[in-house]
This record gives sequence, structure tokens and C-alpha cells, in this order.
Amino acid sequence: MEKELDLTGLYCPTPIMRTREEIDKVQLGDVLKVKADDPAAEEDLKRWASRSGQEIVGIMKEGEVVTVTIRRMR
Amino acid sequence: MSNIEKVQKKKILYVQTSGIDTPERLYAPFILAMTAKAMDLEPAIYFLIKGVTVLKKGAVDSIKLGSFPTVKEVMDQAIKAGVKIYACTQSCEMIGMPKGDLIEGITVAGAATVNDLVLEADGVLYF
Repeated sequence: MEKELDLTGLYCPTPIMRTREEIDKVQLGDVLKVKADDPAAEEDLKRWASRSGQEIVGIMKEGEVVTVTIRRMR
Repeated sequence: MSNIEKVQKKKILYVQTSGIDTPERLYAPFILAMTAKAMDLEPAIYFLIKGVTVLKKGAVDSIKLGSFPTVKEVMDQAIKAGVKIYACTQSCEMIGMPKGDLIEGITVAGAATVNDLVLEADGVLYF
């Protein structure tokens, strides 16, 4: 199962806060696809995931927009 | 990879909150970070609040104190030496600086990154 979260137009630290809320709504082992255009989002999401024990399974960039795929591990 | 290379390098973080209005505060983080690199540490500088003014293209090209080289020269040396540079996105927003005005070769980051960098560093120094 895969859930998408569109965070374009939102800026630091909102993308992290929203991702934190939404990751709890996916099943363990499922993925959350987060789309953001905050230039801080990629670095912040990578660090947030690593710090909170979630797994980044993909990062895709299209212009200003980055899509980070996160697997819920805990 | 040899056993020596496998050993995790110690991390040191410099947080620069001072901007171009206090030129005497701009050299130290770059000099210390380059020295840290030479000491086989892993240094990073996080530019926060007024600190981001230093990273604006052209902002420090002509800032020079005493017999020192320009801040720009020291910054370029630090980047070339492999010092990781971060710019706080919300600080840029606060002072009305578009992201496109930032110099190349740095990472734009935010609140989660600075918290994480402080926690993962073996030492943190604030300017």
C-alpha cells in the first residue's frame, strides 16, 4: 500500500511536522510518498527518517519538486 | 578498506549566526573548520539567522580585515577542502533573500537538519 502526501507550497518545518503525522497513518512496512518544493525538504526528511527509524526508499527530483518515498519501519 | 579508514571520524559543527555586519566574526568558523579537516575530523558549518547573509553571492567578496585574505577567499578554501556548508531556509526567508542568491556548493536545509547535526556532532561551537 502506498499513500501520497502533497506538501508543495509548504515550508520548513511544516513538511516534517506533516510527514510525522502522516507516517502514523500508514501500516508498518507500507510507504508514504511525500512531494515537496521547500529546498530544505530533502535534507530534512532524510535526517528526520534516519533519526526516527524510518527508511527512505527513494528520492526523485523534478525541477524544484522532490518526491521522497518513506517506508514506515516502526 | 583498511581498519583505520573504517573508524568513524569525529564530527564538529560550527553554527554561524553572525552576518556581514560583523565582519570580525566571519573568519573563525571557516578557519577552524579547515583546521578540523586537517585534523582528520568531519567539520560542518550551519549558517543560521543573520549568518545566511554570508552565503549570498558576492556578499563577502570585498570583506577583508587587516592582513587577512578576503572572507570570500577563506570561504572558497573551506568549501574546496571539503567543509560541508548548510544554509537555513527559513533564515533566508526571514531576511528576504531568494534561494537563487545563495552561492553554489552548499546545502539548503531546515529545522530537522540543524537539530540532527547538533545531536550527531561530537562538539558544537556557536558564533
